[in-house]
Amino acid sequence: MTFNTTFKGGLIAAISSAIITLGGTAQAEYPEKPVDMTVLFGGTANTIAQLLSELMSDALGQPVVPVSRTGGGGAVGYSHVVGTAPDGYNIVWNSNSISTTHHTGRVEFDYSAFTPIARVSTEIPALAVNASTGWTNLDEFTAGVNAMDGKLKVGISGKGSFTHLTSAALFDAMGLTDKVAFISYGKGKAPVELLAGRIDAAIQWPGQFASYVESGDLNVLAVTGSERVGVLPDVPTAQEQGVDINISMWRGLAAPAGTPDDAVAKLQAAAETAVASDAFQEASKNIGFSPAFMNAADFGALIESDDAFYGTLLQQLGLAK
Amino acid sequence: MDLFLHALSLALTPLAIGSIGLGALVGLIFGSTPGLTFTVALALALPMTFSMDPVPAMGLLMGTYIGGMTGGSVSAILLGIPGTPSAAATVLDGHPMTKQGEASIALGTAVIVSVFGGIFSLAVMIVSVDLVSQVAIGFGPAEIFALVLFGMSTICGLCGDSLLKGLIAGVLGLMIMTIGIDTIEGVPRMTFGSVNMLQGVNLLVAMIGVFAVPFVIEALSEKTNTSAQDTRVVRVKVELPKIGLLIRNAWLMIRCSVLGTGIGAIPGTGGAIASFLAYDHAKRFSKEPERFGKGNIEGVIAPETANNAVTGGTLIPLLSLGIPGDPATAIVLAGLMIHGITPGPALFMNHASEVYGIYVAVVLAYIWVLSFQMVGIRIFVHVLKIPRETLAFAVLVLCAIGAYSIRNSAFDIYAMGVIGVLAYLLIAMRVPITPIILGMVLGPTLENEFRTAMMLSSGNADIFYTSPTVLIFFALALLVIGLQLKSEFMRKTKRQQQ
Repeated sequence: MTFNTTFKGGLIAAISSAIITLGGTAQAEYPEKPVDMTVLFGGTANTIAQLLSELMSDALGQPVVPVSRTGGGGAVGYSHVVGTAPDGYNIVWNSNSISTTHHTGRVEFDYSAFTPIARVSTEIPALAVNASTGWTNLDEFTAGVNAMDGKLKVGISGKGSFTHLTSAALFDAMGLTDKVAFISYGKGKAPVELLAGRIDAAIQWPGQFASYVESGDLNVLAVTGSERVGVLPDVPTAQEQGVDINISMWRGLAAPAGTPDDAVAKLQAAAETAVASDAFQEASKNIGFSPAFMNAADFGALIESDDAFYGTLLQQLGLAK
Repeated sequence: MDLFLHALSLALTPLAIGSIGLGALVGLIFGSTPGLTFTVALALALPMTFSMDPVPAMGLLMGTYIGGMTGGSVSAILLGIPGTPSAAATVLDGHPMTKQGEASIALGTAVIVSVFGGIFSLAVMIVSVDLVSQVAIGFGPAEIFALVLFGMSTICGLCGDSLLKGLIAGVLGLMIMTIGIDTIEGVPRMTFGSVNMLQGVNLLVAMIGVFAVPFVIEALSEKTNTSAQDTRVVRVKVELPKIGLLIRNAWLMIRCSVLGTGIGAIPGTGGAIASFLAYDHAKRFSKEPERFGKGNIEGVIAPETANNAVTGGTLIPLLSLGIPGDPATAIVLAGLMIHGITPGPALFMNHASEVYGIYVAVVLAYIWVLSFQMVGIRIFVHVLKIPRETLAFAVLVLCAIGAYSIRNSAFDIYAMGVIGVLAYLLIAMRVPITPIILGMVLGPTLENEFRTAMMLSSGNADIFYTSPTVLIFFALALLVIGLQLKSEFMRKTKRQQQ
């Protein structure tokens, strides 16, 4: 039974890491024991992690055990991994949250405390409005918002969340910053609030909107990345509509800084094999994310440039510490 | 009809029936063991479903969910430690029944009314999913706030002898849940700069602490006077509830099923609020309310019917809107998504036969649960023969494992211990602990919905008195509080006259 092996895997990982710590490292070919993969969030992040770890286990020849360590917007999990030995047996299923947790002052360390392994996937936010507004593209949207008396109510999942940052950047690029009021919802309830007409617009993940677009209840006006997304192929990007913005949320793998190069290389190869597999490609369509493998060097450069971008954005929003 | 037959052919394969049964068994075991929670069982079952067909996969998850929801009452009744937050209300009368030697009747009744509530809500859901989801969409932050406030008012009925002590307990529950990152503003509160405190207090961890730790302390601090011990060992008899008992309470079961289904359909509420409202409702409309809390079977029937009726209710926002009601249904949602069954209005167009297959799976899960429990009860009651000290050690170990496994966090084991010792001190001061759980379950929703409502209205309080739904719930809350104050006042004057 899989749940048994998962549990046992976790136990073995714990015991063997204890033995290694006590007895010193024996020289042998990596990997010789299960790899502990910290998962920072539930929901989509967790679902992809479960699948990725199964596929990576096949490629690596040792189990990759996903262990959920949620809380603090990723702070709890990152802190755990930073404190583990840099031996390739502790990795984290990371995301842009490494920048937000650092810049909002939840953790002292930043992205440089980790060695990048590989980017695995991206998720691109989309802007939706209720179909009754009649807005079908960003120009109509801008005209409509400027004609409004009050402010546009935009649903986000909490201040400082990724959807909040994307919304702020998008409306800034469209020159609408002063016309927008953000409404925080704890959970991903924005599509329903939009449907009920309590809010005017929402930026969320395309997968959440797909069913409502098909039923004709919501219009999705734009996605914020540089390319269109698979679940909503008819929705143009913001760039296509003349708004210069390129924001996407990536997820990938990282290990504590100082992890040996050969371990990173093997993990990177296993991730590449997993992402290329049919099972992963199929699941990406169902769940609504894009497989987007990127090697360790390029991934490191991406994390660095993104970190500067989100640092500035959080500063502008008054959320930085 | 073709659709239904196709759904049957999907759900009645040996693999599907077997996986539903396996799920129900695993859920029952996790739900009924103090410390272990069925949310963890669901998280472990999820990866198993990846390689299965959609209907057996969903059957496994739904079986685990339903088994866990039903199993939560077992340790609530036998040991006074609820297996899930939604079984917390069952402790109030279920555990006293065990002390009176009627454990098997309480357990049997609990499982039968659970099955009744579950099937009832499923039927309501099948015929009215569109209608109910339309009504549910109408529940905005202000309406949910008012409903939750109504739920909070049931604290009045859980206070025991002192309203003041009950309110203290309720507020303590509210305060505990403010620890951690505030989801609305994204700022840390009450964390004292500790990264571990950022994750806040997990409801399940706190629940284990509040109920299990005092049990352990009490069991171990009992005087080892052997003669007193021997007489205390209960004679365990296995006796199932008589059909007459169920028929007498049929009307109560129907009312609680409706209540549970309705609450379950509203996103962001869930089993715990439904079971407390049902308990309060049963007590208020009972001919002998003074017998509640002392082992009244109605006090088991009401919450157990309602919390399983929630399972059908939560399927409504889950399937029609894609909104999970609690962490457990969030895992069920992940299972749906990975098999390409995207919830939402287009679901019934694209995946009708899978959805009907899931309905059949739910019915099968209840059949499995009923048959497992009819055997299980005969085994479970023998737990009472185990000496309390031995049992206490087992419970302590299970709870430490359980607290750790929810978030893989050693910090949670300490949190459980601290909360548990504090709960023990409160019990020693005769402060009722059930309102703490109610405060913890409802606190975050109460606060967040209030603040979101105020943001929606740009800080204008009129959002709370312009909606009829809001006013109705406010009026109900006032009524409950008013009635309680009146009976409190009458009891006091009576005492003075004597």
